[in-house]
Amino acid sequence: MSDLHNSAAKLSRRNALQGGLALAAASALPAIAQGTGPIRIGSTLALTGPLAQTGILHKIVGEIYLKQLNAAGGLLGRQVEWVLLDDQSKPEVTRTLYERLITVDKVDLLIGPYATGSILAAMGVAQRYNKILVHHTFGIPSLAKYEMHFPAWPIGAFPEKTVTNRVVDMLAGKVKTVAVVTSKFPSVHFLALGARPVFKERGINEVLFLEFEFGAKDFGPIAARVKDANPDLLFMGAIGLEGNQLLEALEKLNWTPKNHFYTYPTPGPLALSPLGKDALSFTAYEDLPPLNAAPGAAEFGKLFTEAAKANNIAYPYVETQTGASYSAWQVLIHAAAETKSLDDKKMSDYLKKNGAPTIIGKVRFDGPNNYGDDLMRIKQVQNQRWVLVYPDEFKTPGAKLIVK
Amino acid sequence: MISATLLGQSLLSGIFSGCFYAMLGLGMTLSWRYLKVINLAHFAFVLIAAYLTYQLVGKSGLHPLVVAVLLIPLFFALGIAQQALIDYYKVNEFASVIVTFGMAIITEAALQWFWSADYLKLESHYLRGSTQIGTLFLPIGEAVMALIAVVMCAAVWAALRYTWLGKALRAGLDNPQIAASFGVPNRQLSYLVAGVSGATAAIGGIFVALLFTLAPSQIFAWLGVVFAAALLGGLGSPIGVLAAGLLLGVSEALTMAVIAPAWAPVVPFTLLMVILLIWPERV
Amino acid sequence: MSAVSAKMPRSYVPYVLLAVFVFFAALPAMKPPAFAESFLYLLFFWIALATSWAIFSGFTGYVSFGHGAFYGAGVYTLANLASYWSIWWCLILSGLVAALLGVAVAAVVFRTRLRGELFALLTLALAIVLSTIILNTPIDGGPGVYLLGVNLPSFYGSQASTLYLFGMSIGMLSLFVAWYLQRSKLGRALFAISDDEDVAEILGVPTYACKLIACGISSALAGVAGGIHAVFVSYVTVSGTFNLEVPLFVLLMSVLGGARSWIGPAIGAVFVTVLNNTFVSGDSALLVRIGIGVTLIIATLYLPDGVVGLVQKFGRRNTNPAVDPVHPAQVEQPAAQQRSTTQAMTATGETLVQLENISLAFKGVRALDGVNMEVRKGEILGLVGPNGSGKSTLINVLSGFYKPDTGRIIFGGEDLARRPGHIIAKHGIARTFQIPRPFGRLTVLENVVVAAMFGAGGLPERHARERAMHYLGFVGLDSRASALPSELNLHQRKFLELARALASGAKLVMLDEVLAGLTPSEITSAIAMVRRIHSADTTIVFVEHNMRAVMELTHRLVVINQGKMIAEGDPRAVMQNPAVIAAYLGTADAED
Repeated sequence: MSDLHNSAAKLSRRNALQGGLALAAASALPAIAQGTGPIRIGSTLALTGPLAQTGILHKIVGEIYLKQLNAAGGLLGRQVEWVLLDDQSKPEVTRTLYERLITVDKVDLLIGPYATGSILAAMGVAQRYNKILVHHTFGIPSLAKYEMHFPAWPIGAFPEKTVTNRVVDMLAGKVKTVAVVTSKFPSVHFLALGARPVFKERGINEVLFLEFEFGAKDFGPIAARVKDANPDLLFMGAIGLEGNQLLEALEKLNWTPKNHFYTYPTPGPLALSPLGKDALSFTAYEDLPPLNAAPGAAEFGKLFTEAAKANNIAYPYVETQTGASYSAWQVLIHAAAETKSLDDKKMSDYLKKNGAPTIIGKVRFDGPNNYGDDLMRIKQVQNQRWVLVYPDEFKTPGAKLIVK
Repeated sequence: MISATLLGQSLLSGIFSGCFYAMLGLGMTLSWRYLKVINLAHFAFVLIAAYLTYQLVGKSGLHPLVVAVLLIPLFFALGIAQQALIDYYKVNEFASVIVTFGMAIITEAALQWFWSADYLKLESHYLRGSTQIGTLFLPIGEAVMALIAVVMCAAVWAALRYTWLGKALRAGLDNPQIAASFGVPNRQLSYLVAGVSGATAAIGGIFVALLFTLAPSQIFAWLGVVFAAALLGGLGSPIGVLAAGLLLGVSEALTMAVIAPAWAPVVPFTLLMVILLIWPERV
Repeated sequence: MSAVSAKMPRSYVPYVLLAVFVFFAALPAMKPPAFAESFLYLLFFWIALATSWAIFSGFTGYVSFGHGAFYGAGVYTLANLASYWSIWWCLILSGLVAALLGVAVAAVVFRTRLRGELFALLTLALAIVLSTIILNTPIDGGPGVYLLGVNLPSFYGSQASTLYLFGMSIGMLSLFVAWYLQRSKLGRALFAISDDEDVAEILGVPTYACKLIACGISSALAGVAGGIHAVFVSYVTVSGTFNLEVPLFVLLMSVLGGARSWIGPAIGAVFVTVLNNTFVSGDSALLVRIGIGVTLIIATLYLPDGVVGLVQKFGRRNTNPAVDPVHPAQVEQPAAQQRSTTQAMTATGETLVQLENISLAFKGVRALDGVNMEVRKGEILGLVGPNGSGKSTLINVLSGFYKPDTGRIIFGGEDLARRPGHIIAKHGIARTFQIPRPFGRLTVLENVVVAAMFGAGGLPERHARERAMHYLGFVGLDSRASALPSELNLHQRKFLELARALASGAKLVMLDEVLAGLTPSEITSAIAMVRRIHSADTTIVFVEHNMRAVMELTHRLVVINQGKMIAEGDPRAVMQNPAVIAAYLGTADAED
């Protein structure tokens, strides 16, 4: 039970080591936390609207995490309650609701919403109230200027360079030409634009660069142009279904890309479609060894799979989105447990100095804009499952990188 | 330098898009003109039919044709039921936007309730693959969809043109009382139009399930362009909606091939504005 | 009946609006939770958008799906300039850019007469094109624009309060503008356009200019609201700005509340925004959405004309005592008629209008074929001819309804052929329609007020109301001043047309078959009426099939057949003309 939530567990272990009575610790804690009753953590998620498919995942993860946390004794001796509101996938509603969480619901702590626009809106509110904001998956590090924001998704301060370089390293000279095709969705577009100079530096010839409107439906002409260009690597700035849509259009031209990389694919449709074979993407976490050896990770994976199946989620395995979601909770709770406080400033100072252990690994916040190391790994679809193929130390047992 | 193959392939792609817009737009244009209902719920019907197809073909293993036989009468009836409600409350043209928008909101939430917000793709072997014609590839699924769209538009056009239906409907629009006194059954006719519109939604939904990936939030994904096709084609005109759909689809596809995909919407919609400004009376 | 006075009642609305504004402006001093400010901001933001939409689309009836374009123009103007200029300049520019866009679009679009639904399509296309341009140019380019360090002035020591005050101000400003417009000359013009644009034009309403101005005001307000909202969301993206939410929601809110009323859209905005932002529990998100859908449907089914429509319905029921449904007999005793009614003014022989070589063809059919004729000052000119001879076409050309292919219409030394209808009206030509075309949703009084304000008289509102009441009395409709035209019978509606033509202050009034469809006794009273009009210094062109009336009334007769003038002169002499007899053979008595 104590390994479910490692920071709370650590806390109680240390108390035991110090020889203090558990009871004494428990009675001391409420004083530190300045209150009794449950600790309330507030957030919004895109539970309805166009981003709901991902918003729902974050909801499932949060519920699992809190159940585990509370079963293990909660935080600072108190139970933890999640005040969750639906922001309808709209940043302006997110802003209003975070203000409501702080000023009306008077929650003790905040945790982030989902999607770039909403996270920025929440960050603005957090900044005005000097609240610490840990968030799950934010894609444009240069936009996150608030000193008390903490990205649980460790993409580093310059993912457009570090991630692309990793991909090129992995391909090890086997790829001579690339087609960069990108959606004009902000976080995706940013990565794809940033990747272009890296490819050039590394001597990979860009044979096609295409941008399309987010929400485009007809991929036929794009597919025809990709086929015409016939690149060794299709590097697609894709979010949601766009990868699938291009692949389906390419299939109709009887053409399959040799190697193909997608930035933010929705995991299910791409992995489960026969067309997604050998597709590459980057990830912080997958529920696979060796990554899930972290304390609590395997159990989380099991619980998530159960809950996801019950909720009709097409790809019921923990992957980068849900892994980061779990990590965000771990970072927040770790900071509170370690500082024995709910004080935003103290927690923030602690995190900046020490980082936090998560299922993804040790996440640090000591670089530009509170971004630390880029912990991203490369995954590939093999047998309708995403497996890790690079770097070697994270490779899923039995998986082998396929490069043509 | 654009290769002829690329151009030809894009043209095909545009034709298919255009036919798809017409397939979805046919029901809209009929109910807008003849029922004075701006039916946003049409897209809800399409999506419900698509999810049902996903369920029946993907999970229960039925043949899509069997599903069509089940869904077309069902949605014919649903269309009538919706019209009965609108009739009963005498909902006017603008209020119909709100009522049907409310229906769409409910549908979106209900679909999410039953099938989750996640993307669902019907993985089936029906209508897959392509045949090669010269250097061009003809995707089977799209080709069948386009063919059916054309047949649907032509059939409705013929029914309006060569039977008393068209005359009776127009007479009913001009003056329901006079039409009624000449024996035009206005109410039954309006139910027929609503039913046909519902049936086209069912067919559209089956192809949405076969050709696209489903998500409840996709409900208004085609709203803008289908609206445009219906209006540009002239309300109530089945051939018009097909022609307008093709114009939009083809010009969009060619822009993507020749200029840049990101500029795709500019050409068809600029074209549309120009047409409206130069020949407003032709539309 | 004293229910309708000539004076417009003084309105308490501006005071109420001011009080509401002061209340909400003082609100931050009471230190409400920030959420309240933020929520109220959203409320006022949607009030601004819905009201600004209704100022053009609700008032004129031209439904726009492109409000997102004007709003978006404001959003992106501010987003691009906020780091260079002060917020005040940015907001002004947001409004200006949006207004320019709105006026430019309207200027191009309304060069041709576009049916309502095509206008909707055009605006939808505009929004799509604009968003694509912004997406593919440095205005955005794709990554979105993050507004860092926008320098807001600090009211109540908080930027959030400042933003709330901005949003509240634009919401209240939109409301005030809508209220003011509704009662203004422009507002009347817009409502008239909404009901019957062609008639509005020939009554002297400069419809093109009015639409441009209204579209400009509407866009400007939306643009400023967009600019403020850019600061509020602080990160603007194309897909977030130009989605269907804005155009769909403003339509929804306006129709729900009542799009033709200044307050209706705001009521709808409050209703929808409260629904959307109050029930946000994460646990029952889907149930809440379903609830919102059901509420929208039920609200619409039971309020087909919006909330305001319902209120007005009850209002009308209460203030309008049952009026005699049969046409009133006051025609014989016009309340305000001072002059002698028996002695007709005689024609002076001086030319009032000279028509030279007027021709007009429709798709090859020559409706008018080189007509030369004159109307003399002070006469009653009869214009007769068989069905389809071109009489009504001639009236339509004279009033500016149609533009002739060739020829000149000299009136007051100016050629009025091919001038817009409202210019012709301003010169003093008015007409009635064979089938009455009153503005269906304006009261009888307002119908006449529009003519008095925009016609040759061009009276300010106060005098226009007095004059309108005068002529309503003259035609015996003063007791029905607050009725809607649909509550009148045919005879009364024809007299309403007359009152409108007279109140415009025209020198020349053209009566297009005023007698058709009337009973014999109604005809007698109508003939008396025409005499009285004539005696009031008005020249009359009288188009009629009823030969008894023609012979009784007219000083001179012009006969038209197949688009040509075939005879002209003394009525009795003209009727003996063999060409006229030939033209009429077999058809002369068809109407009477």
